[in-house]
Amino acid sequence: MNNKPTLGIYGFTGCAGCQLAILDCEEQLVDLFEAADIKVFYEAMSNNDDEAEVDIALVEGSINTETQKEELLEIRKKAKILVAFGSCANYGCIQTMAYGDGKWEERFKKVYGDMKFTVGKAIEPQPIGKFVKVDATIPGCPPSTQQMLMAFTKLLNGYMPVYPNAPVCLECKLNENECLLNKGIMCLGPLTKGGCTAPCPTHNTGCVGCWGIIDEANHTSELKLLIEKGYKKEDIIRKFRIFGGNNIAEKIDELLEVVK
Amino acid sequence: MKEHDCRHGRNTDSGKPHNHETQVPVMMRIISKKDLTPDVRFFQTVPTKEYRYENLDYRPGQFMSLSIPGAGDAPFSVTSSPTRKGIIEFAIRKVGRFTEKIFTLKDGDLIGLKGPFGNGFDVEKFKGRDVIIVAGGLGAAPLRSLLLYILDNREEFGRLIYLYGARNVEDMLYKEDFFELLKSDQIELQLIVDENNEGYEDRIKKGRVTELFSGIGKFDPENTVAAVCGPPVMYKFVVQELLKLDMYKNDIYLSLERRMKCGVGKCGHCIIDYVYTCIDGPVFTYWDVLNMIDLI
Amino acid sequence: MRVLKFEKKNTNKLFDVLSKFGEVWAPVPKGESYSYQRIESSKDFAFTDGCTRTVLPEKKLLIPQKFSTLNFNSKGYEKPDEEIPAKIVFGIHNCGISAINILDEFYTTDYIDADYKQRRNKMIIIGTSCMPDEHCFCDKTNTNIVEKGYDIFFTDLNDYYLVWIGTSKGYDIVRVGQNMGIFNEDIPKDVSERFSKFRKEKSEAFMNDVDLEGVTDLMELSHDADFWKELGDKCLACGQCTMVCPTCTCYNIIEENTLNKDAGTRERYWDSCMFKDFSLTAGDHNFRAAKSERLKLWYTHKLKAFIGHFGVPSCVGCGRCIVTCPVDINIKTVAERLKKKGA
Repeated sequence: MNNKPTLGIYGFTGCAGCQLAILDCEEQLVDLFEAADIKVFYEAMSNNDDEAEVDIALVEGSINTETQKEELLEIRKKAKILVAFGSCANYGCIQTMAYGDGKWEERFKKVYGDMKFTVGKAIEPQPIGKFVKVDATIPGCPPSTQQMLMAFTKLLNGYMPVYPNAPVCLECKLNENECLLNKGIMCLGPLTKGGCTAPCPTHNTGCVGCWGIIDEANHTSELKLLIEKGYKKEDIIRKFRIFGGNNIAEKIDELLEVVK
Repeated sequence: MKEHDCRHGRNTDSGKPHNHETQVPVMMRIISKKDLTPDVRFFQTVPTKEYRYENLDYRPGQFMSLSIPGAGDAPFSVTSSPTRKGIIEFAIRKVGRFTEKIFTLKDGDLIGLKGPFGNGFDVEKFKGRDVIIVAGGLGAAPLRSLLLYILDNREEFGRLIYLYGARNVEDMLYKEDFFELLKSDQIELQLIVDENNEGYEDRIKKGRVTELFSGIGKFDPENTVAAVCGPPVMYKFVVQELLKLDMYKNDIYLSLERRMKCGVGKCGHCIIDYVYTCIDGPVFTYWDVLNMIDLI
Repeated sequence: MRVLKFEKKNTNKLFDVLSKFGEVWAPVPKGESYSYQRIESSKDFAFTDGCTRTVLPEKKLLIPQKFSTLNFNSKGYEKPDEEIPAKIVFGIHNCGISAINILDEFYTTDYIDADYKQRRNKMIIIGTSCMPDEHCFCDKTNTNIVEKGYDIFFTDLNDYYLVWIGTSKGYDIVRVGQNMGIFNEDIPKDVSERFSKFRKEKSEAFMNDVDLEGVTDLMELSHDADFWKELGDKCLACGQCTMVCPTCTCYNIIEENTLNKDAGTRERYWDSCMFKDFSLTAGDHNFRAAKSERLKLWYTHKLKAFIGHFGVPSCVGCGRCIVTCPVDINIKTVAERLKKKGA
């Protein structure tokens, strides 16, 4: 037991689906629990040691309150390697869909009014990387079993996980699909981080972008293309924003310029 | 239509990688290591007994790929000379995840090796001629292989001029060795640093490596070959100096860096125009460079 | 060369003959296109006349999309001890055979690629003739008729197929077929007229007017042309062109570990020069950070580089890049830019 790396799995705001995805690794679950000394995993254990220092901290969820921010900073202090686990932690996911539009407080008021909060002061949702140094990432909404296990295995063996820096199109093509964009289907594959094995386009459904925006995503060209295919610009930009997180916010002005 | 006109060309006569077909790394053992600078470490490796050394012949300027099982692999130039058999040496800078892993290795640990790859310097063409070596920063690593080769076969070469520039004294590789060589009559060595030479004024000048050319004295361009390796920005300026000395373009050899992976011209990462750096290079003449857009 | 005749009614029996020699692979419908898949029974076996091209080319059968190239543990590396099955690939067209000829040159010149070689040695190529669709341009790349590279080739002369035997391996198969009575030497007297008619019909059927005359030199002359930037701005960097190109060979490797075990694999997978990190070196120096530079590299490689090394361009005119690229960057549109047409 002693030589095993210690692991803490922590959750902030999100659907907890990423933690659930770990439990979903049914075949490899025993191996995983054997390979690590798990100190914190609220989703799966009752004996959690919140004070424990850990070799690896998997952090799920976005930061939505001041209290969460404090807790995150504490985890950072306790962890040798901090991993942003899943889309919410990595870039904010759908709770940051309107990130950076300057109307967060207005929206907040509209929904909650003057309600009193016991969970801490709410802030505009943000990925954990806004507050702490992130050493490694495991992308996905939720992460794919295959890529997640690959990453865990690397981390538990003392290596950093590496992924091809390629869009969904890579795996989509390796699955030998015809390009949905050519069929007029709105697909965000070229803009989106791969690693998911492209299940949506493989089943003839356009990629919604849930793994987050890839470096160098060419929103401008895709926007022009989708307009050519007959989509309304508002609909396209809305789609970009759903899973665009904080990364799309800085591109919005440029995109609005294109469609003027 | 332009033919494949890489004059320096591929190395087909010596140092062909022994395991190029299967790409299976052979295991080497680390026998010693030493920090050359704050971020560059020198490693000495020897073949494990499963593997026989005579297969490991190489040329100065060739590179090899090092593997750590589980961490992957990366290419490194060889800093030892084939004239000193038995030990393969590397000078490795910590720049990324893989090299960080290499820095955790201890004496006695195993490391995988593939290669040698690339053409290296065609030392046969250097023989009987004066040689000027210009190194910048980490470029002194592959050029040490050439330097030792020439020193070990000193009578086969003419003058040996060596100019070495680094950012500052701490970043200078093989400092102690160079200080020794400053005393030698076998080599005309000049050292220079960009930033601060305090405490070393007697041995290291301050300025750019190009400033050292004025100090090399009478120069016979007809009978000289140059070998240059350094950071990408350095080549243009050094080549200008060499051309000012009336050197022939195809007597100027430049060792270039690209993202080399397989080492045998298949994986494509190091390609420039129509040339695979890993097999057509990493050593190119300046004439090659002029004919290949994007090379430097 | 020996030429025989094959009656269309014997197609099912042909499957029985082929399957004696290994796994039979052929194009099967997938979506609106086709894919090379293993055929398990004669009822699924047919001359797929409708298949002009598959989504992924033949290279996937020689260098799979992702596979373990080495096994390792902390002691070292070794080649996996696996049996590569013999693959009888049926229904490859001229462009596909030409592409394999190019791959053969590429993977076995100077340095041999063992992963390729062991699969290639186990592959038997059975070509079938085809008619071009609006995207095909193998007539412009001189790959519309192949002289070598197939073991057996079937040319469709309407009532029957003309069977060309290219290699002794092919002949072994045909001999078994002859014993079952499905190949015969009784070729009708008018075969020459019929074959000439087929050739004429085929050459007249090409609709793609892509103009590749002189593009090799134009690539050189257009190195600094403005249109590269324009194409770079448009490119989605999705990498589909390189995946579907039958002569794209770039790959990457990554090591995968196993939980609780001192073991793992070195995985080799298709990479694309369209991806941002393709030319990224240690120390984060990216030699091709701009998409326009990466596009230029690809077209250099297709239209220019290979000629220098092997004397033929590495484009075989299959039309896959034209069918696939969502933003219309392909050999045709690039050739038009090079020629200053339609700019």
